[in-house]
Amino acid sequence: MSKRLPYVIATALLASLSLIAHARETVKIAFIGPLTGGVAANGLGGRNSAELAVKLRNADPKAKYHYELLVLDDECKPNVGVQVATKAAADNDVIAGITHYCSTVAMGTVDVYHRFGLPVIVWGAVLPDITYGNNYKEIHRVNGTMINQNEVAAKFMTGLKFKRWAIIHDTTDYGKGHDKYFSEFLKKDGGQIVGDFGVTADQQDFSAELTRIKELKPDVIYFGGITPLGVRIRSQMDKFGVKAVFEGTSGIISDAFIEGLGPLAEGVVAFREGAPADKLPGGKMFLKEYAAANYSDPPEAYGPFAFAATNLVIDAIEQVGPNRKKVRKVLDRTKDHDSVVGKITFDDHGQNSVPLITKFVVQDGKWVVWEDSEYASGKRSLTGR
Amino acid sequence: MRTPSILPALFATVATAAAVVLLLLADQEWEVATMAGVAVAVLLGGMRLGWGETVHRSATAHRRIVTPVTWLAGAVAIFLLREHNFELLMLCTVMIFMIAGLGLTVQFGYAGVVNFAAAAFMGIGAYTTAVLMNSTALPHPVVILLSGLVSAVIGSVLLLPLLRTRGHYAALITIAFGILFRTFLEVNDALGGPQGLKVPGLELFGHAFNDAIEINDDVEWSFYLNYAAGALVVLFLAYELVRRIERSWMGLALDAVRLDETAASAFGLNGAAWKITAFSIGNFLAGVAGSLYATITAFIAPASFTFSDSLILVSIVILGGLGNPLGLLPAALVVVVLPEKLQVIQEYRFLLFAILVIAILLLRPGGLIPRRAREYPE
Repeated sequence: MSKRLPYVIATALLASLSLIAHARETVKIAFIGPLTGGVAANGLGGRNSAELAVKLRNADPKAKYHYELLVLDDECKPNVGVQVATKAAADNDVIAGITHYCSTVAMGTVDVYHRFGLPVIVWGAVLPDITYGNNYKEIHRVNGTMINQNEVAAKFMTGLKFKRWAIIHDTTDYGKGHDKYFSEFLKKDGGQIVGDFGVTADQQDFSAELTRIKELKPDVIYFGGITPLGVRIRSQMDKFGVKAVFEGTSGIISDAFIEGLGPLAEGVVAFREGAPADKLPGGKMFLKEYAAANYSDPPEAYGPFAFAATNLVIDAIEQVGPNRKKVRKVLDRTKDHDSVVGKITFDDHGQNSVPLITKFVVQDGKWVVWEDSEYASGKRSLTGR
Repeated sequence: MRTPSILPALFATVATAAAVVLLLLADQEWEVATMAGVAVAVLLGGMRLGWGETVHRSATAHRRIVTPVTWLAGAVAIFLLREHNFELLMLCTVMIFMIAGLGLTVQFGYAGVVNFAAAAFMGIGAYTTAVLMNSTALPHPVVILLSGLVSAVIGSVLLLPLLRTRGHYAALITIAFGILFRTFLEVNDALGGPQGLKVPGLELFGHAFNDAIEINDDVEWSFYLNYAAGALVVLFLAYELVRRIERSWMGLALDAVRLDETAASAFGLNGAAWKITAFSIGNFLAGVAGSLYATITAFIAPASFTFSDSLILVSIVILGGLGNPLGLLPAALVVVVLPEKLQVIQEYRFLLFAILVIAILLLRPGGLIPRRAREYPE
């Protein structure tokens, strides 16, 4: 016994020493999104992506801290959002947050983050006011707003020598926002709007609008709204013999749009923030790792943004340590930061000002990146469909 | 008959307040699990050994002492949480749901008028508050009262169809109203549309509720302490109002109308008048609850007042024991705090929560604290 004791003590000491060497300080980051309810698919995709970023970083031997993701469900409801945001923000162990897919929730919670000084990065909500409505240094956003999307949309289409536009938009905030920003940018770029029509999101019959539009003879019909409405308008355009090009927003980029229209979808153009994940080196890595992690739900459109936001937060913590104020300052200064969604630069409102906008066109029943399409190479033309 | 000792009632009061504080502060899974285990043990043990009866007798015999002590215990519980922002917010939510639940108790529990649009009436109160605070300089206590009144007045739109229908049909009318209310908000740009409205903080005699209370350089009490104290005062007033209604001739009349309207009218009670009274009082309380809710969350949107929120309120009233305001506290804790404590299991939390609620109703079909038959002291 007495002979063995020193060995036991020595082993115990060694073991504890190596534990100290390996035990990194744990840092908590919050993820908030809708995990239950109607848009849960997007929330789960974002959650998995953020979790993946944390997991990959924890496996990295060079990381200074061990990261823990505090996942909270906002149910896409502002009241629940304020509740969980308070929970995350009042917890001093939480250094930063990756927060919100739903714009209404984000609008309600920005005050909470500001009050408690918790730096957050919005990963999915698109309403411009979230970053631009206040002058809160704590709020950042990696995904673009509808402003960026429409700036590119207007410039690109006027660049193709189109002159006359008719606008149809739905009357939700989403549709109205698109209408507002697209009109502004189009006027700046010299395009002419010959008619602007607001329709409700569940309207079935567009004969009144389309008859009028036929008389106005626009080159392009700009549509601000989402897939089901877009399918109805595009198919009725054909019945009325309206020959204009159909231009949509990120809201119609889905397989359902093409399935609903068949050959009529050919030559429809639309715009979405973010490079297609498989076009960037980091994006390919993300898709590969995501597939390898065997999640039961896909990352969805905004998963890469959640992944990029999580990495941005972790990079900042690695740089200055787990201190909210310092992390916030590092995030504020983010410039040309490489990520899976392209380079990220925050403007003075914390909005990513260089979100890559990708142009898409439907070619042979598929959404194809414009630059790769036969429309760009001149083989086909939008007008001579 | 010997007067029962005051101790059981005092013990129950203090233990409840302590349990609430502990439950709110518990953030480890094992803590929550232990508390749930103790709660189940107390519930089952209490049913076996008749603790409820002991506490009830002791509380009735010493009402004049036990009632103030109960409210004092509530105030102490809030004070203990003075530096915990999130826990105070949860407690505020519990109290607000209890105020709305008191309204439903008058409607559902006393008069038997169904209301599946309680969240909509809360919404009316909340939106009234937002509009009045943003565009007028009325003192805020007046705004809260007006919000309740507006809610009651708008509720009178439903009176005619409600009086002409019974049972499922009346329920359908209120459900339709709830959905109509939400749609109305979503298409109404002046009220913020689907994106909602910001609500400024409460102010009372120059004291801004949104400011944290600085004691000295090191100690700062949460600004939610203001709201929790305010909510406790409103809850106190609402609770005493409902209790007094129940114990007075009004409560007797309402019970009679609920149990047998024909018999009640044979005794000269005007069933329609009593239903209208109960419905309006209930909506008034829901409106007041909504008003507080708006100022505390500082942001309201149509998504906060959906049909499913109405169902949550109804389930609080039924889970607690229909017609017993006392049951609202444990029920609101289960419905509001439990899903929050289950955040660790993320997307599965509502599954477990639903199973728990079903289990409670299986064990206690009359609710956690069922309403007692009236007692008439000799």
